[in-house]
Amino acid sequence: MQAEVTFLTRRGAAVMRKSHTATGETIRFGRGTGNEVPLPDIRVELTAAVLRQRSDGLSIERLGDSLLRVNGGTTGATVVGPGDEILIGPYKIVLSSPPDGLDAALSVELVQGVGDSLQRLMAESRIGLDQTGLSKRRTSWMLFAALTILCLVVPIVLYSIGAGVKPSTSVPADGNSTFLGIAWSPGEISNSHRYFAQNCATCHQSAFALVKDSACLTCHSQIGNHVESAAGSDGDPVRQRLQATRCAGCHEEHRGLRTLVIREGALCVGCHRSLTEMMPRSVLRDVRGFPDGHPQFRVSVVADARTRRLTRVDLDAQPKPADHPNLVFSHAAHLVPEGFPALGYKPMVCAECHTPEASGQGFLAITYKGQCHECHAQKFDAALPGKEVSHGDDERVIAEVEGFYASIALKEGGPGGSAPAPEIERRLPDSLSPPPSDPAGRRAWVRQQTTRALGIIFDEKRGCFYCHVPDPARGQFHVAPVLILTRFLLPARFDHAKHAPIECDHCHDARHSQASNDVLVPGIATCVTCHGAETASFKARSTCTSCHVFHRQELGQMRQVMAVEK
Amino acid sequence: MTVTDPAAALSRRPSRHESFLVYARFRYLKIACAAASVSLLLYLVDSPYGSRYGGSWAGYTLGTAGALLILWLMWFGYRKRLYLKDQGNLVAWLSAHVYLGLSLLVIATLHTGFHFGWNIHTLAYALMCLVIASGAFGVFSYVRYPRFMTENRHGTTMPQMLSRIATLNDQLRSVAISVDDRTTALVKFTVETTSIGGSFWRQLSGRYPNCATAAALTGITEIRANTAPELAAAMRQLRVLLDEKAQLLMRARQDIRYKAIMDIWLYFHVPLSFALLAALLAHIVAVFYLL
Repeated sequence: MQAEVTFLTRRGAAVMRKSHTATGETIRFGRGTGNEVPLPDIRVELTAAVLRQRSDGLSIERLGDSLLRVNGGTTGATVVGPGDEILIGPYKIVLSSPPDGLDAALSVELVQGVGDSLQRLMAESRIGLDQTGLSKRRTSWMLFAALTILCLVVPIVLYSIGAGVKPSTSVPADGNSTFLGIAWSPGEISNSHRYFAQNCATCHQSAFALVKDSACLTCHSQIGNHVESAAGSDGDPVRQRLQATRCAGCHEEHRGLRTLVIREGALCVGCHRSLTEMMPRSVLRDVRGFPDGHPQFRVSVVADARTRRLTRVDLDAQPKPADHPNLVFSHAAHLVPEGFPALGYKPMVCAECHTPEASGQGFLAITYKGQCHECHAQKFDAALPGKEVSHGDDERVIAEVEGFYASIALKEGGPGGSAPAPEIERRLPDSLSPPPSDPAGRRAWVRQQTTRALGIIFDEKRGCFYCHVPDPARGQFHVAPVLILTRFLLPARFDHAKHAPIECDHCHDARHSQASNDVLVPGIATCVTCHGAETASFKARSTCTSCHVFHRQELGQMRQVMAVEK
Repeated sequence: MTVTDPAAALSRRPSRHESFLVYARFRYLKIACAAASVSLLLYLVDSPYGSRYGGSWAGYTLGTAGALLILWLMWFGYRKRLYLKDQGNLVAWLSAHVYLGLSLLVIATLHTGFHFGWNIHTLAYALMCLVIASGAFGVFSYVRYPRFMTENRHGTTMPQMLSRIATLNDQLRSVAISVDDRTTALVKFTVETTSIGGSFWRQLSGRYPNCATAAALTGITEIRANTAPELAAAMRQLRVLLDEKAQLLMRARQDIRYKAIMDIWLYFHVPLSFALLAALLAHIVAVFYLL
């Protein structure tokens, strides 16, 4: 079999042809050099196909595994003729009419060249992270835009349209927890304000503006003042300073769960360290800190019980401060170890007289009925063991006693009495002499008995004057008004409940107190045995607000100081 | 006419080989330490009521300093592209960028007063930490990997390596024509699928589990045992060529890996910087919007 084989090579528009005649039993196509038509490319098998001369013409047959395409269709073996196009790997073989004497004519052309290896390699390689589709610029813009929208635009829009940020002080708070309330919160909100914390506009009522005091006073309208609002004293630097101070100036929100009330002493000491200079009319003394720089306590004691006038005296003052409750009382006499018969000889303890308030902070007022009556009953006649006079009103006592005896005289010795009075009066001890039967005698008897009984009642050994101070200006049987204080450190607060584990004796030297004039309030030296400065390491840290309050309800409303609404 | 001494002018210029880390005898390290120390001093001197925080006078000072520093540090991203302006100065900028960027960690942390929460303020801080951390990794990689790259390249460059691999592909293609089809298929596969670089992870890991060249080497070793004597020379030649290609590929891929490690941090550093810029803007606006 003979075939004319023409290799075509294209260089641009030019086509170069190189022909030779292949001779063999068959015409084989393949990479191998032994083939009649060598196709030198590794994409072609060693012997890929064979062209045979058959009786009915030419046939092409696949020998290897590679695909054989004839006129676009895949085939294993097929009859071919002039004009047919055969694809073997990257080669295109086109049959044409053979010249005379030959069995076949075909042109061979490499239609899929390998190209430049380096270019191809570089084209296939992706070197550098910038070739992987990642873009710093694109990612940067995306992140910037996303965060600007999420963290800035959305919160501003939420605030502006009032979505979830309505001013609200209702309980429970209106609205749900909002994105704004969480995302923009610069710090943990105080515990007492948390229930409306998601409604930012409750406090922040306008943008780029400080929180106004009016926002605070919406709820806290009754908050107490710090100083007395004295007319014509607006020129005081302290008052001016207070007026210029916003609520939020001291009460900084978003500073944590328990820091809304500033407890640092520096806030108070800022003014109080030079108060005598700033406010010469003030009766307050300068304070530079605690314990160092804090003056001795000044106790409020009764100066005049009749006029209910109190006075404040330094505990270190000489002579020693004295209380004048108009009472004769000895703590020491009551705290004797052997006790008293009426109490079963059990030694008295403080708690028997000093009853804590419900809060435990202080003690209830001492009253005759509550504390004294059990031992100091106001009986006045052994013959009338069940009779007692009322306590607390000496005029009424006189009337009551006179009434007792007048009643007896009426019952037992009325006009036309049962029997005449015996010549010799015989009666049992402690029994009451019978009233005479005549009216004049009965009146005399009543006066006599009343005088006798009042003598007992107002006796300084047995009666009122055992504990009370006489009031001679008003008469023989009159008691001076009593004023017993329950608070002695008025501007301060002391919580006895917090100090309950400590024995009373530790602070109050009652066992050696002989007179009611004694002031048993301990001085600062007693406090500092346990309490130290706010930075103390081994003592209870104490600040101004541990004992003092800023907003004092008794001085009226804070709003009065805030003449100009901030 | 002024005559300038070229040697003197040259000596004034900073050496091109001077590392940004030691630039001007650690000038910017000293400045950064001074900035951090001043910040710490401010933090300690300020004692607002309650704990220290960003809203006190020291807090605002530190915050303003931090914000300005962030803007300045980000300006470096633009400044460094002006290559031709003043190369020597760029080293100074980079040195300052690195050290002052690290000092920002101290300044901003003190500004926070160590108060953190689930809000945009802490988000800005966290992003800043991530930016600094990525930058610190960048410094680490710039110190560590150039030496490895030099050792790995054996004096060649990536284009040279690629050119050599392309030549090897041509040689393989040429030699493989005469060998059996199975071997040719292996060679064809390695020639046509020379995988260099690729996906993000491939470049970074340097792992090419489906490497055609490695597969061809393994396959050809098995085939050589049963090959016809007349093909032994070609097979041996193929083996040598494949070996050389595998070596070159390993070197090229390792080079790409080192380069990827040296580049990857910037893909975090830059976008996170812009995220930080947005969060910082939101932080500042939020603080003053709702005073």
